[in-house]
This record gives sequence, structure tokens and C-alpha cells, in this order.
Amino acid sequence: MDFDIFLQILIAAVAAGTPFVYAALGELITEKSGVLNLGVEGMMLVGAISGFIAMAKTGSLLVAVFVGMSAGALLSGIFAVLTLTLMANQVASGLALTIFGVGLSAFLGLEYTSIALPGVPEINLPLLAKIPVIGKLFFSFDILIYCSGLLFMAVSWFLYKSKAGLVLRGIGEAPKSAHALGYNVIKIRYMAVLFGGAMAGLGGVYLSVAYTPMWVEGMVAGRGWVSLALVVFATWRPARVMFGAYFFGAITIAQFHIQGFGFDIPAQLLSMMPYIATIIVLVLISRNQNTIRLNSPASLGITYHPDNQ
Amino acid sequence: MTSMKKQVLSVFILLACVAGFSLSAWAGDKLKVGFVYISPIGDAGWTYQHDLGRRELEKNLGDKIETKFIEGVPEGPEAERVIRDLAKSGHDLIFTTSFGYMNPTLKVAKMFPKKHFEHSTGYKTSKNVGTYMCRFYEGRYLTGIVAGKMSKSNVLGYVAAFPIPEVIRGINAFTLGARSVNPDVKVKVIWVNSWFDPGKEREASEALITQGADVITHHTDSTAPVLTAEEKGVYAIAYHSDMSKYGPKAHLTAATHVYGDFYTKTTQAVLDNTWKSEAVWSGIKEGSIKLAPMNPVVPADVVALVDKTTKAIADGSFHPFQGPVKDQSGKVVVEAGKSLSDKDLLGMNYYVEGVLGNVPK
Amino acid sequence: MLLSLGANPLSGYATMFTAAFGSLEGFSETTVKSIPLLLVGVGICIAFRANVINIGGEGQMVMGALLATAVALAFPAFPSFMLIPMVLMAGAVGGAFWGAIAGALKAYFNVSEILSTIMLNIVAVQFMNFLLRGPMIDPAEIERGTGIPQTMRLSENADLPILLEGMRMHLGVLVALLVAVGAYFLLWRTAIGFRIRSVGYNPDASRYAGISVPKNVTSALAFSGAMAGIAGAILVFGSESHRMVTDGGSTGFTGSAGFNGIVVALLAGLHPLWSVPSALLFGGMLVGANALQRAAQVPSALIIALNGLIVVFVVSSEYFKQRYAQAGRVEEPDDNDNGVIVTEGGNNE
Repeated sequence: MDFDIFLQILIAAVAAGTPFVYAALGELITEKSGVLNLGVEGMMLVGAISGFIAMAKTGSLLVAVFVGMSAGALLSGIFAVLTLTLMANQVASGLALTIFGVGLSAFLGLEYTSIALPGVPEINLPLLAKIPVIGKLFFSFDILIYCSGLLFMAVSWFLYKSKAGLVLRGIGEAPKSAHALGYNVIKIRYMAVLFGGAMAGLGGVYLSVAYTPMWVEGMVAGRGWVSLALVVFATWRPARVMFGAYFFGAITIAQFHIQGFGFDIPAQLLSMMPYIATIIVLVLISRNQNTIRLNSPASLGITYHPDNQ
Repeated sequence: MTSMKKQVLSVFILLACVAGFSLSAWAGDKLKVGFVYISPIGDAGWTYQHDLGRRELEKNLGDKIETKFIEGVPEGPEAERVIRDLAKSGHDLIFTTSFGYMNPTLKVAKMFPKKHFEHSTGYKTSKNVGTYMCRFYEGRYLTGIVAGKMSKSNVLGYVAAFPIPEVIRGINAFTLGARSVNPDVKVKVIWVNSWFDPGKEREASEALITQGADVITHHTDSTAPVLTAEEKGVYAIAYHSDMSKYGPKAHLTAATHVYGDFYTKTTQAVLDNTWKSEAVWSGIKEGSIKLAPMNPVVPADVVALVDKTTKAIADGSFHPFQGPVKDQSGKVVVEAGKSLSDKDLLGMNYYVEGVLGNVPK
Repeated sequence: MLLSLGANPLSGYATMFTAAFGSLEGFSETTVKSIPLLLVGVGICIAFRANVINIGGEGQMVMGALLATAVALAFPAFPSFMLIPMVLMAGAVGGAFWGAIAGALKAYFNVSEILSTIMLNIVAVQFMNFLLRGPMIDPAEIERGTGIPQTMRLSENADLPILLEGMRMHLGVLVALLVAVGAYFLLWRTAIGFRIRSVGYNPDASRYAGISVPKNVTSALAFSGAMAGIAGAILVFGSESHRMVTDGGSTGFTGSAGFNGIVVALLAGLHPLWSVPSALLFGGMLVGANALQRAAQVPSALIIALNGLIVVFVVSSEYFKQRYAQAGRVEEPDDNDNGVIVTEGGNNE
């Protein structure tokens, strides 16, 4: 395989991995605050169709991104009210959110199936894109991919370098103590959940407006679930989320290349690979309880309310 | 005031509905024709082509018939209910346009022996169920000629749905067409195992382009391959529908299937009481297969060659699978002077020379 | 919501109700649709009682159906009274195996079962596509060249007998009811059930009491998977085509019962017997929504989504709020049912 093809695969892997980057980084923040939202798949779908409709109506990427993010945040807002204010079970509410999102997006998208959008043009950053190899690899994507890179930097900085990030992590570890220190646990968790929803929505918008660009019922096709797995896979570290997302993207792309090069492996077995790989990695990282314990937010998935402590 | 207005308005709407209802009841002597679609109509693809046919039928026989379509009907028990409801509500002729409607159609047809049914792409007929399907491979051969002439890298990319004879036949016809004008050309195939999955179709198209293909075609239902080709600056040949608006530069032409004539003729036969159950397999000759308008970048001599071949296929002097045809191992599968029978075409499960890789088992 | 679509909600729900329960045919249809929901739901009851979140119903149904189909293909000549129990058992074994993988991963490697069951769902579907396109495909499909991914017409001896002449209601309905009752006895009348519940209620205390937590977590998921596997087998042998077919997607075969079963179980307050009316309600909703789609062009997806949402809101907030107030932690389903509020009345055992 010559180098150029390898490079092209890498570029395609970055594009394929970008929806995971958005959704998983969003979920990472949510989980860091101690809330487990299993509704990522539903939020991505609703974000995808809302963004798609906005793009089809206005032709403006900015509007599409805004609408998609708002839709995702709105959906996660329902989840937040249920779990944070009404103290409903997070797993049940998250699942309900996904079931709801699947149905709602299918309904909203009825009239938009099989309609194609022009897509988002690649931006070749002036000068930089001309650099051989690196130029092509780093500087010729569409704008939403650059934004996902910025998001990564922002999330990393926020979590590890900012005071607000420290508070967020503290709430995820020990909501009681954070409360005792005078922080409004519920309010901060609300914000973390809404952020997660907006990012899942944006991941959906990327899929329907930039990647495909088309709306199909159920087009997120399990990417929301994979994003959830990626967060654990990455042991709640943003850099590892990025690696996992692109790795997953690469495996997705590789199955087509393997076919193109004429290897005879049944396609279905190839399609299983990313998921089996995820299970294996989960086994490797979970086997040692300490890895999980050290990294996972201690209060993850546990309902907390200051009045009841 | 406003609520008053609203009330008045709603009364009017109600009246209008009642009036509309009674009008349609009055129109009871018209022949009612029903269509069952597997997916929403959208603006390109399999169902879109069928709906174009339905609209043409309405245009041609509009004063004698009325049509109704139900879109997005999943195969299985739900399809049976939809078909039964159509038959119950007075539709005398029902077109069911997906392979998986075969058994539901036959079952409902048995319950309504006086009604007429036409099932697309099936292989089972009965007293009141006919089948119809297009010789897609004829269009494939013609687009192959265009692709063979336009390729510089001599690698053509083919995004394919499932390894079944219908698709393999298309790949082979395309390859034969391309190699008839450019013997060095090779065809790379990537299977996406789905009829409609824009994400996978895009990924497969990208992989093909990365691996050197400079003309992409597809046997799947979305516009993703054309969009990807446009984005990556290579050519594309669309399938089902003219997709030129999705890739003004990339879109060379498209192999499309056209049902207007067939729907009109069949409906006329029901009106005249001359309908009988048949298995129709029609192609260029009957006007069921047409190429979309050529992109101006295709040179005039190529257009002329395509036109000439089209005529030859139409008058029967040429068959896309006309010998000698060799398979991948170089073995002659169709001898010179012969052409493949319909039975052999329907069961095709091997690649011809020039296709890379093996047919998935 | 229905209003916004220009349909009268009351008459809409009336249409749904009549279609689902108003006639014998409708009711028969409803029971058939309820079977997989009930079986998966009962399995979920067991898993959640052990504090194991099983989202793998889809994959477990698929694996159960595959093994059952393989048995029917291998022994087509066996008489019905042997073959039917055999295929149902095979379904249970296939589902249990798939569930036990996730269970063992959680018990011995600490892998979150939520994630592993999701992954295993996708793996199972791809495995089904592989088998139905390759080794298990109907030879006639190859010969004829249509290549539809489906098995041949399975042995008639394995057909689930129809219970009502001319209707679709078949033996699977009774099997599902029996399993629900069996699960009730398992959970509250056997030592295994006691251990499963106590592991879910308080793993630390159970450990002190000498109950093996890993073993019981694994067996809870295996039981849960077994029920889903039976559901998969019933989907195949109670179907009208009597074949196993895939559309390549994940929900084509199961009809999302693997997910909807979770909602059924939650609505039933994680009680196997209450799951029966709960499953009937959801089955009726599916039948009714289809009818409404045909009558008023209201997309059935929306109705299902909305109803599901409403129900889960009610259940999750009420049910778990109560739990929370009692236990301080809501994660652990306990078996102290005093004061548990379920929308359909008390849940006293």
C-alpha cells in the first residue's frame, strides 16, 4: 500500500470519527458531573434532523449548527428535568430519551428523506494546506472538523486547567462535599447535561449536513451507543476520547479498503470488528478495578438531591 | 374576534372537506389505481422513478382513472394490510413496487380474485398477479461505454448493494461496455450490504476514489456516490434517477428506468378488459430503460457511439452479453455468435473478465 | 401532539383502541405482538432485580432465534411434540449464552454491562446477516439467484400451532405467559431467585452472607438472555413465513422488542406478572398505531415514541422517587415493595 493511500485513509478516518468526537466529548462532560445520560443516540438523531431541516430551509451552516445544538440541548433538558429535578432513574430516563428521539426524528424527517444537500465545502487553509503530507492531513477539512478539534482543546483546558472544571469534577466525585462547600450541584449538573445534549446534537448535524449529507431515518446507526462506549474506553480522558474516535473511524473506513484491495473476508465479519475490538478494550481497561475507580466519576449514575441527604 | 374568525374558518374547512368527500364519492365510476412504495418518494431513486411513472399515468389517462399511493410501507405483514386495504377500498389495479411485497401481493390477490395486481421485480405470477421488471443491464452496458472512454486511470469504481444476480449482472454489463471501448479498464467493486445507506455509500465511494477509481457508479439507492464524486473531483454515473443536480460537474449520465409507458399500457388494458397476467421484462426497446442527458464534457463521438449501440440493442442486432464473453479466469462463458439466454442472465453469479476481486460467497 | 397534525386525539385513540382490542382479530394480533415484549420484559425484570442493566435484548433475541433455527434445520423430521420444545429450548440456550457473556464480563472483568450488551447487540446482528447470507441461506435462493437472506421454509413440525382458527394467535402466547409465571416463582419462591435479588439489593451484605456475587450476576443475565432467546425463537416459528429473515438492519427481525421490553418491565414495576398487562398495553399500542397510520395518516413512529415517553416519565419519576426516598440510593431495585407506586395500581406480591 503506498503512502498516499494510507494518508487518504487517515483523512477519511478523521471525517468518519468526527461525530464520535462531538458526542463523546459532550457525554464526557456530562459524566464528569456524575450524570449518566444514555440518550446520546436519540439526541444525535434529533440534532441531525433538526440541523438538516434548518440547512434545507435557510442554506446557512451556522443556522443549522445552532438549531441542531439547540434541539439536542432541548432533549437533554427533558432528561435533566426528569433526573435532576424529579430524581428519576438515569438509566431508564436515558433509554426513554433514545426511544423518543428515534420516533421523533423519524417523524420530523418524513418529508426530508432522499433529499440531498450541497454539503459543506472543504476549507484549504491558505499556505498551510500546501505543506506536503501534513498539509493535506491537517489543513484541508471542512469547518466542522476544525471545530471538533477546537472543542477537544477547550474541553481539555476546561477540565484540567480551569477552576470551573475542577468544581465540575468535584461534583462528579463527591456531590455531598461540593454541596457542603456551597456549590449548587443541581445547577452545575444541569449545565453539564445541556452541554452534552448540545454536543450530541452537533455530532448529529455533522452527520446529516456535512458527512452524508442527507437525512435517512435512523441514520445515526448506533454511533450514539458507540460514543457512550468511547467515554469508558477512554477512561474519561479527552485525549483518549479523540484517539478512540479516530481509531473507530479508521476501522470503519478500513473495511471498505480491504474489500477494494480484493481480500475475501465476509463483509459482515468485518463490520463486527470495531465492536469486538471495543469489548476487548473494555475488558483490558476494566479488568483492573483501580483504573476504573481512579478515573470514573465516583457518583456516576447515582441520583443526588441536596434536600435528601 | 380572532377566535370567531377561527371558528368560521374551521366551519368552512369542514364544509370543504365534506364537499370534497362527496365529490370524490361521485367520481366513483373512475378506475382506481393503487401504488405501494417501499420508501418515501424523495427526489431521486427507486421509488421516485415509480412515482414519475404514476404521474405520467395520471397525465395520460387522468379523466378515466384516479391514483393513490402509500409510501414507506415496510415489507411483511404491514404490507399485506396496506394492499388489502387498497383492494377493499375499491382499487381495481394495484402496483406493488418492492421485491418483498411478493408473498403479501399473492396472498391478497387470492382474496380478491376480481382485482388486478402487478408486482415489480418478483418471479411468481398467478391468475390475477402479473410481474414487471426492467433490463437494467442494457443501460449499464451503455454507461460502461461512457465510463470506459472517460477514465484516465483505467480504474472504475462500483458501489454495490448485495451480491445477488441482479447486481452482478449490472457490474458485468458495465464492465463489458467499458472494455468494449477500452480493453485496459478494470472495475473495482465494494459491497456495502445495504440498498440505502448514504453514510456507507459515501465511505465506499471515497475508498474507491482513494484506490484510484476516477469514474464511480453505484447500484444503491442514494445520491451519496454522486455527491462524493463531485466533492473529490472525479466522474460519476448515477443509477435509477438523473442525479445531475447533485453533481453538475461529476455526473456524466445515469442509467434510469422509466415506468410511465408500462403503467399507462397496463391500466388501459384493465379499462379495456384485456388485461392478462404476464411476466414482463422490458428494456431499451420498450422504452423502459433510458439514459439521462449526457454531461457536455462527454465528447461527441462517445455520444454517437452510445446512440448507435442503443439503436442496435433496441432493434435486437446487438446484445450486451454477446459472445465471446470470458469470465475472470479467462474461460469463455458465452461463445462467439451466441448471447446469454434470459435464464442464464437471471442466475448470473460470476464476474466477467475485467472485474477485480471475487464474488462474495 | 396529535392535534397539531390535524387529527382529533380522542377519535385517534378510539381508533387505536378499537383496532387493538375491539375485535377478536385485533386482540389476536395484539397478543402476538405482545409475546416478544412480554418475554424480554420478564427477562429484564430478573436482570434489573440483580441490579444488572441488560440492554442486550436485541442481540439475545437474535442469538436465540439463530440457534433455534439451526436446531430446526438439523432435525426437521422430529415430531412436533419433540421438536417444538427443542427449538424453544435452543432459543433459551442461545439467548442465555449471549447474555452470560455480558454477565461474565461484568462479574469477572468488571466491564459495564450497559456497554458490553450494546456492543454484543451489533455483533449478533452482523453474525445473523453473515449466517443468513452464507451457511444458513435457503438453497433455493441461490439456485433461483434472488439471494434473499433467509432460511428455507423450516420444518412444519416446528410450526407453533394456531390457537384460534383463522387468527394469528399461536402457542407462543401460552409459552410467554408460562414463562412470566415461571419467572415470578423463580424470583420469589426459589433460592436462586433469592440470591439474585439479594445480590441486587445489597452486594456487600450478600458477600458476607456467602452468596457469590459474580456467579449470580452472570446467572441473572443468563436468565434474562434466555427469555429474550425464547422470544427470538417464537418470532421465527410463529411467523407467517416460518423462516428466519434479515433485512440487514438491527430492528428488522426483532421489531425493537429488545428495547421496548425494558419499558414494559419498568412500567410493570419490574414484576413478571404485572409485565403481562404492561406488554399487552404496548402490543396494543403497536397494533393501534398501525391502524391509526392507515386511517388518519398519522405516522406510527410518532405515536409509539410519544406514548413510550409518557409512560416512562410516569414510571421512572414515580417509581424511582419512591425508591429514592426509602433507600437513599435509587440504583438498587429492592424487593421491599411497600409503597411502590405503579401507574396501574399496587404492586404487592
